[in-house]
Amino acid sequence: MATVVNPNLMSDLQKFGAPDINACFSCGNCTAICPLADNDATFPRRFIRLAQVGLTDELVTSKELWTCYQCGMCTDRCPQEADPSEFMATARRYAIAKLDKTRIARAMYTSPVAAVIISLVGLAIFGGFFASVQAEEGARLVFGVPYEWIHTVGLVVMILVALIAVFNLAMMARATAKRDGVTAKSLFGSKAAWGRTFRALWYSIGVESLGQKRYREDCADDNPVEPLYRRRWLIHTLTLWGFLALFAATLIHYAGDIIGVPEAVAEAAITPVARTIGTLGGLAMMYGVSWFMINRYQKVSAAAQHSSPSDWLFLWMLWITGLTGFIIEVSLLFPGAQPQPWSYVLFLVHVAIAMELVLFMPFTKFAHVMYRPVALFFYGLAKDEHRELQPA
Amino acid sequence: MSEPEATQATPEPAKHDKTAPEDRRIGVYICHCGGNISDYVDVEAVRDALADEPNVVISDDPIFACSDGTQQDMIQAIKANGLDGLVVASCSPKLHQTTFRNVSKRADMNPYAYTQVNVREQASWVHQHDKAGATEKVIGLVRSGVAKSRLSDELVPLRVNTVPRTLVIGGGIAGLRAAKGLADLGIDAILIERQPELGGWVGKLGAMFPHEDSGKEQVATLIDEVKDRRDVTVYTAAELTSKAGSFGNYEVEITLHREGGDKVLNLEVGSIIVATGFDSYNPDDGEYGYGMDGVVTLPQFKELVDATGSGPLSYNGRPVRSVAYIYCVGSRQEAGGNEYCSKYCCTAAIHASSLVSSLDPGIRQYHLYRDIRAYGRNELTYNESREAGSVYVKFDPDTPPEVAKLDSGVLGVTVTDLLTGHAELTLPVDLVVLVTGMVPRENKTLIDLLKLPLGSDGFFNEIHPKLRPVETVVDGVMIAGCCQAPRTMGESVSAGLAAVAQSAALLKKGFAELEPLVAVVDPDKCTGSGECLTACPYDSITSIEWDGRQIASVDPATCKGCGGCIPVCGADAIDLLGYTDEQMKAAIEELVVTEMPVKEPVA
Repeated sequence: MATVVNPNLMSDLQKFGAPDINACFSCGNCTAICPLADNDATFPRRFIRLAQVGLTDELVTSKELWTCYQCGMCTDRCPQEADPSEFMATARRYAIAKLDKTRIARAMYTSPVAAVIISLVGLAIFGGFFASVQAEEGARLVFGVPYEWIHTVGLVVMILVALIAVFNLAMMARATAKRDGVTAKSLFGSKAAWGRTFRALWYSIGVESLGQKRYREDCADDNPVEPLYRRRWLIHTLTLWGFLALFAATLIHYAGDIIGVPEAVAEAAITPVARTIGTLGGLAMMYGVSWFMINRYQKVSAAAQHSSPSDWLFLWMLWITGLTGFIIEVSLLFPGAQPQPWSYVLFLVHVAIAMELVLFMPFTKFAHVMYRPVALFFYGLAKDEHRELQPA
Repeated sequence: MSEPEATQATPEPAKHDKTAPEDRRIGVYICHCGGNISDYVDVEAVRDALADEPNVVISDDPIFACSDGTQQDMIQAIKANGLDGLVVASCSPKLHQTTFRNVSKRADMNPYAYTQVNVREQASWVHQHDKAGATEKVIGLVRSGVAKSRLSDELVPLRVNTVPRTLVIGGGIAGLRAAKGLADLGIDAILIERQPELGGWVGKLGAMFPHEDSGKEQVATLIDEVKDRRDVTVYTAAELTSKAGSFGNYEVEITLHREGGDKVLNLEVGSIIVATGFDSYNPDDGEYGYGMDGVVTLPQFKELVDATGSGPLSYNGRPVRSVAYIYCVGSRQEAGGNEYCSKYCCTAAIHASSLVSSLDPGIRQYHLYRDIRAYGRNELTYNESREAGSVYVKFDPDTPPEVAKLDSGVLGVTVTDLLTGHAELTLPVDLVVLVTGMVPRENKTLIDLLKLPLGSDGFFNEIHPKLRPVETVVDGVMIAGCCQAPRTMGESVSAGLAAVAQSAALLKKGFAELEPLVAVVDPDKCTGSGECLTACPYDSITSIEWDGRQIASVDPATCKGCGGCIPVCGADAIDLLGYTDEQMKAAIEELVVTEMPVKEPVA
């Protein structure tokens, strides 16, 4: 079945900062040199070609976009200087925007002004809301903001994001499944199918997302190789784990609250654990994010060559959330310290940005946390299948 | 060079006195051909058998008769022994007849007293199983050759005066440039063009690859340069309607189509350059959607782009935002069609698309190709077009693109793209350009008139594609430009100038030497039956008054020595110089008396 191509795909991609890939004559050096490309995921050549001919759907719903960690080796070897690695990054931005039907991502990626306005409006709404809610008599407060409201708003934001994420992921997953021939039966139809599904899940979530195995081992990293303390896979791992730790700390706190653990028990058992996890996580995340920002500022690697306002926004929000959280945390270490007016403002900022960070997940670079595991799941399935076919 | 003989009216070329056959001194060389002959023929036995032959002064068996060293030895031997006849038994005359004629010439011996005996193709190669038989056969063949040389005449090449004027047929870029080139060399040029305007295809074009020069302007410049020259005469709306005479002295009739009736012009020219150009391939109805609104050929598209100037590109009033080019239309077809590559069209299409890009870089352009043959510097044009955003889609000739109207109203070209993993794509476009190749122009009258040889592709054929690229088998008729093969403008001009050089080589001496191997009529024997007049394919025989009666006369300048007139003559009055009845009878006689071994019947 012939696909009607989109003649405007190239010009549209250029709005997302695509390099000049017209120079590409499909030699395939990039795919040959790529440490991550194999028979189950061939890129970047094929993806440049998809853009050239205008196959939008295949481009934005592909798993291959998310198997790339942008080491930049392809760009170093490209005889036409078409910059395939930056193209892959642009294609990811484009995919995020294209899969988001609200068009917020598109606006934030293509217009710096829109990006700034949207984030400021978001902050104003969250900040204004939390500043305005009146604490009822006897309500528990966090720096003057009622506990209940933080929890309720947090819950609403997370549900909203989850709905959007599920919708977008479904679009991508359905298209990828169709292309790769993955069906409900092939996933759950038999015991062997269940086994394969489980192994692919473990590969995606465990080995790759949490373990960052190929990022660490196969993407033997940028050229020139960075010192270990600022190597990309390491700062990425610290950022990821730091973020997860902060998220876990919040959840622990929240969960304790929901199941109604008595305040004394919470004070004695839950709070110290949550706070320790949170503090360590925050430090790890801030370390990682700081280096990401320095790398982008210094343009040290292929991955840091081009930064869209949306990319900066994501890093700044992570960084400010981490910093404000840490300051508040430290201020609590001094026994007897009274909450100061500035700590109230600081907390407002912290909460507003954290909320916005989560809310913006489907619209910014943050979206990779939802697309990449799904892509890697399909990649895991494909690899598994071909492993089975190989003679023992 | 002084006092060249005027031969037209002479019924017989001059014959020199010849030595009596019994006094001839002949050299015989039997070549080993490095084993090609000597492995299957007892060369020494042949040499010894011939040594005793009457009139044979030398009999030798070189390893390679054609080698420089042996040629030198032969020259020495001819001079030292006062030879007046030479026989080399070796390969086909096609290969080395000229070589040994030249050896004779260099040794001051008449080259027409040389006889080549083909004992390789006709004996050693075909009788590899029978050395004794082959040897016996070779002895017979060589004796036969000796007999022919023994009776040879002292022939001299015919000289004809040539007219320093060339007829150029076709006023396209090749013909125009050739006319100017001829004039520059001091040869008058008569340029005729069938159309009312000069310029041909190039004259209609705007910017052309590789330097963006306008075709129209280049033609205009050439016309300006030619216009005021006395040595170039141009006739438009003119056709060649008759040709007589021979190389160096063609009498041509040109018909001028003028208002109020045709006018006829008779001229004498020494040579003819044919530069009649090509036709663009006209696709069949429905071939890649041809006939649908929005499907055009490359020349039509180029005209559209040239006419657009700097304004927005539009077709039939509709803006053109996307174009698909389908390459190799009418070229590289399957057996029976046009199997050749037209060579210019890849670059022409790429260049046209570059013009479109410079009009508006936003116009989306897809090039559907089998192979891009933008050779030489044109590769750079190809690169530039790709970098300007043209998308190149490679298809397999087994799955050619299809053109259809889409529901949205625009044209859809569906193609299987080999570079996108054989993905089947439908390209929605406003315009489809069929990149058509060149086909031979319909020119039957001219072909019949000049007896021009055609290749299997329908284009005119040269004698040799590398070493004699502009000459045809018709003496003094040259070909240039796209009537010979598909070409670019630069290549056509080069071919035109090559034809000029070749014309100059023929005409600048003022005379031409022709082979004296022509038919002659014995006036005493001829009864004037007229049989030979109709047998001659070259119209070389006429009936003349002789001694009060009508006899046949052969024009040696146009006679090709084919021998077609000889057997039809009831009076046995015609002889072919170099192959006289006397010579041929003697040669056959030798073969008859040579004893042939009787073969044992195979059980």
